Amino acid sequence: MTVTTTPKATVTRQERVVAINPTRTCAPIGAMLATYGVHGALTINHGSQGCATYPRHQITRHTREPCEVATTSLSENAAVYGGKENLLIALKNVYERFHPTMITVCTTCLSETIGDDIPAIIGEFQENFPEISIPIVDVNTPSYVGTHITGFDNFLEVLAKSLVRRGRKPNNKINIVPGWVNPGDIRELKAMMHEMEVAAIFLTDYSETLDGGFYSEKPHFPKGGTTLEEIEDSSNSMALFALQKHVGGKAASIYDRRYGVPSHVLPMPIGLENTDQFLSKVTEVTGKEVPESIEMDRARLLDAMVDAHMYVTDMKVALFGDPDILEGLVRFTAELGLRPRYVVTATDSKQWADDMMKLAEELDLDTEFMMKTDLHELHKRVKAEPVDFLIGHSKGKFIATDENIPLIRVGFPIEDRFGYHRKAIVGYRGAMYLVEEIVNAFLSQKTVVSNTIMDMRDLEGCTLTNGSGNGHGHEKMSEMVKEA
Amino acid sequence: MLLKCNKTIPERAKHFVVKGSCTPTPGGGCPVASNVQTTPGDMTERGCTYAGCRGVVGGPVKDVIQLTHGPIGCSFYSWGYRPHLADSDFHIKYSFTTDLEESNIVFGGEQKLLQSIIEAAEEFPEAKGVFVYNTCAPALIGDDGKDIAKIAQEKIGKPVVFFRCEGFAGVSQSLGHHVGNETIFKELVGSVEPEGDFSRSINIVGDYNIKHDIRTFEPLFEALGVRIITRFTGNVSVDEIKIMHKAALNVIHCARSATYIADMMKDKYGTPYIHVTLWGIKHMSDALRATAQFFGLEDRAEQVIEAQVAKIMPQINHYRSRLAGKKVFIYQGGPRAWHWPQLLRELGMDVIAAATTFGHEEDYDKIYENVGDGTLIFDNPNALEIEEVLTTYQPDLFISGNKERYIAYKMGTPFVNGHTYDTGPYAGFSGMVNFARDIDRAINAPVWKLVQKKARPVPGWNGNRNETSMAEAF
Ligand code: SF4
Ligand code: SF4
Repeated sequence: MTVTTTPKATVTRQERVVAINPTRTCAPIGAMLATYGVHGALTINHGSQGCATYPRHQITRHTREPCEVATTSLSENAAVYGGKENLLIALKNVYERFHPTMITVCTTCLSETIGDDIPAIIGEFQENFPEISIPIVDVNTPSYVGTHITGFDNFLEVLAKSLVRRGRKPNNKINIVPGWVNPGDIRELKAMMHEMEVAAIFLTDYSETLDGGFYSEKPHFPKGGTTLEEIEDSSNSMALFALQKHVGGKAASIYDRRYGVPSHVLPMPIGLENTDQFLSKVTEVTGKEVPESIEMDRARLLDAMVDAHMYVTDMKVALFGDPDILEGLVRFTAELGLRPRYVVTATDSKQWADDMMKLAEELDLDTEFMMKTDLHELHKRVKAEPVDFLIGHSKGKFIATDENIPLIRVGFPIEDRFGYHRKAIVGYRGAMYLVEEIVNAFLSQKTVVSNTIMDMRDLEGCTLTNGSGNGHGHEKMSEMVKEA
Repeated sequence: MLLKCNKTIPERAKHFVVKGSCTPTPGGGCPVASNVQTTPGDMTERGCTYAGCRGVVGGPVKDVIQLTHGPIGCSFYSWGYRPHLADSDFHIKYSFTTDLEESNIVFGGEQKLLQSIIEAAEEFPEAKGVFVYNTCAPALIGDDGKDIAKIAQEKIGKPVVFFRCEGFAGVSQSLGHHVGNETIFKELVGSVEPEGDFSRSINIVGDYNIKHDIRTFEPLFEALGVRIITRFTGNVSVDEIKIMHKAALNVIHCARSATYIADMMKDKYGTPYIHVTLWGIKHMSDALRATAQFFGLEDRAEQVIEAQVAKIMPQINHYRSRLAGKKVFIYQGGPRAWHWPQLLRELGMDVIAAATTFGHEEDYDKIYENVGDGTLIFDNPNALEIEEVLTTYQPDLFISGNKERYIAYKMGTPFVNGHTYDTGPYAGFSGMVNFARDIDRAINAPVWKLVQKKARPVPGWNGNRNETSMAEAF
């Protein structure tokens, strides 16, 4: 169903009811991931065991790190009488056996449908054990509302409301809410801030906890993560930057209204212009200039984009994943000269639709922005009108193999490759990495011919296989293109 | 026996025994509490009933639409991660879900289920049926999925099988296996009466074709002159399931997850069954012998075994010389913890600790039979227990699943993935070589020397911040 149209770009929403190969999962995993960014914190998933074990496994497959999440192991009994007893026991056990710095209790479809009053149960627990003084926060993550990013966003909202201490002692720091990114992205943001000599509090920081080192003795909790003291202190920061609208947007307005921390919700800093915008805002707020080292990275990126343009200009790309990564990628791919043809997200967001149409108008795009859409729908589009590249997470690999289109792996989850959780796509260096991935994906195809920009049919000896290009027997042509 | 980490949850003690220092049960084993509710918050590795049904038993059926009736997550997480391979990949490539949303939770999801089945069948007319798996939320609001499945079946003209496998129904994956068996038996088995001679045919029951395990042993059964008609469930089509009652014998591999269907077939069709193990040299030989004996084909069995064993022994001896004397901690879902000690012995290795996620009493009795005195046997381990056992028992190898792999790695313990295999397949005679090779690669990898000599402590670490506070608090 078409929602909005400009002369060229459209926003559509999937009509089919059954979801086939979704590009979204459920909310609790977002709260679990965010909790991993707080040093020594643990999550209790209040539900049946699958709802904890599955997401743990998913995070482990992406990061190749241990991922611990407790479950209240609800059973049939709890479904009838409520899950209160189980949650009380779980809180005690997690506290006594692990000694976390904080506990996040997140809900599931099951506990939400049962209707357990989580705050009351936590209150009762704290009354029973007054000596246990660690913060215990509860995050609503019924999965029938929103997607995995909703869980992350809800956690950040709770963090802003209940873990931050009101204060008026300027700490000369900024808060950065990176959103649902990779450990590698957070490290790149940290490196950039370090080069700019800007002190930053990350809300939250799972760059080390979910990408830890090998140490001669395994620490009880992984090294790293934002400390609770830093979170308490984050009300004293001079500004907050939320780098994803859908993950951190709500928290940003709480910081703004409640703590008077001026908050900037920016497009994710992917590509040249988005990164420019982020860094110039940081400069504006902190007075710290962009240093030479970063300027040189920027110049190198621009240089690489010049070197790359004859390989990629006008090639069509399909993007899929979470809305904010897509927003960043749309501008970036367009500035590289690619044509974002289909942009697919599972999120249903009017704000996203509006932002995308504005972007399309500004960049003169003929994109179909597909909200609340699954990967099977994308597959059908790509079959009907091929693209040269797919950019998204591992679940797109089935389209890539079937249609013989390179998949540039970006987002969550990447479970069929090694080390992608360490790759940064943010900042100038992240953009450089993406430029290289895209050009190399093109160059490493057997036959380097665009699916879409060259019509091979009239050339002697060239036959397009399966109607989508990328066939064999184009060696000459491919060499020509390679030399370009 | 109470581990240190369980000081505050003494109820865990009854899940632990040490062979040789317990009072045996009437069954002969040590009494290990099992198949009971997990202690909430203990950081269990267990999954849910749905996972056992959708992930293990139903998921491998290669030509049906695998439709999860529930909110988005259950289907997303069970999509494509288990390598229960087949000669086609429809079942791995596609995951279908009714994707229930708030309004469906309030007003019911039945209509959405019906529409989803119809739409999915229209999108994939080549599919031979629809498997619908129920999850917690629709079960809780009382959707009558079974009724909808019936209506849908009429509409699409293909079997629509509804599994009551909502996650909260059982204490672990195990109930899901049971539901899967029972439902498939009732809804599909015997629904077609094929012509032909089935007097020398068998079903392999309880093998999920992880990384093509079946390819290692199917030719061996064929060499006996025995045909496998149905693989329950691995590389299997719905049509093959429908005729599985024709087999002369059920050969059960995973006793825990699939004896149910063999029992039901025995009751209804009189089909006899045998329990076998299809991993390892002795086990595989015994399996061929037992099958051959049933059909009076003993001579052929000896020929096949002799030829195959001779083929692999040079490699097995090579690995044995590199692995002899190593100590193993094995933690598997269920039966592998008692199937595999024999394999490890064939490589000169010893099991010093064995645990299962969802084993029942019989599984613990079997473990007891298969391990030596002094072996720690325990049930439903959690993260801290695993760490403690790795620390105090110092095994040379930990065999478990992917979630536990990285705990072992962080502690410097070599690891092999026994659930879905590192390389694989591990079954049959040829798979035994893969198994040995993977263990050798794990244990003798140069990286461990590097780690021992060169790893450094956490920078700036003077005892973990939280461990400090823990010491203060207690
Ligand atoms: S029940 Fe809900 S929370 Fe649990 S896995 Fe399914 S979708 Fe996620
Ligand atoms: S909701 Fe229920 S069925 Fe789904 S993963 Fe969670 S425990 Fe399993």
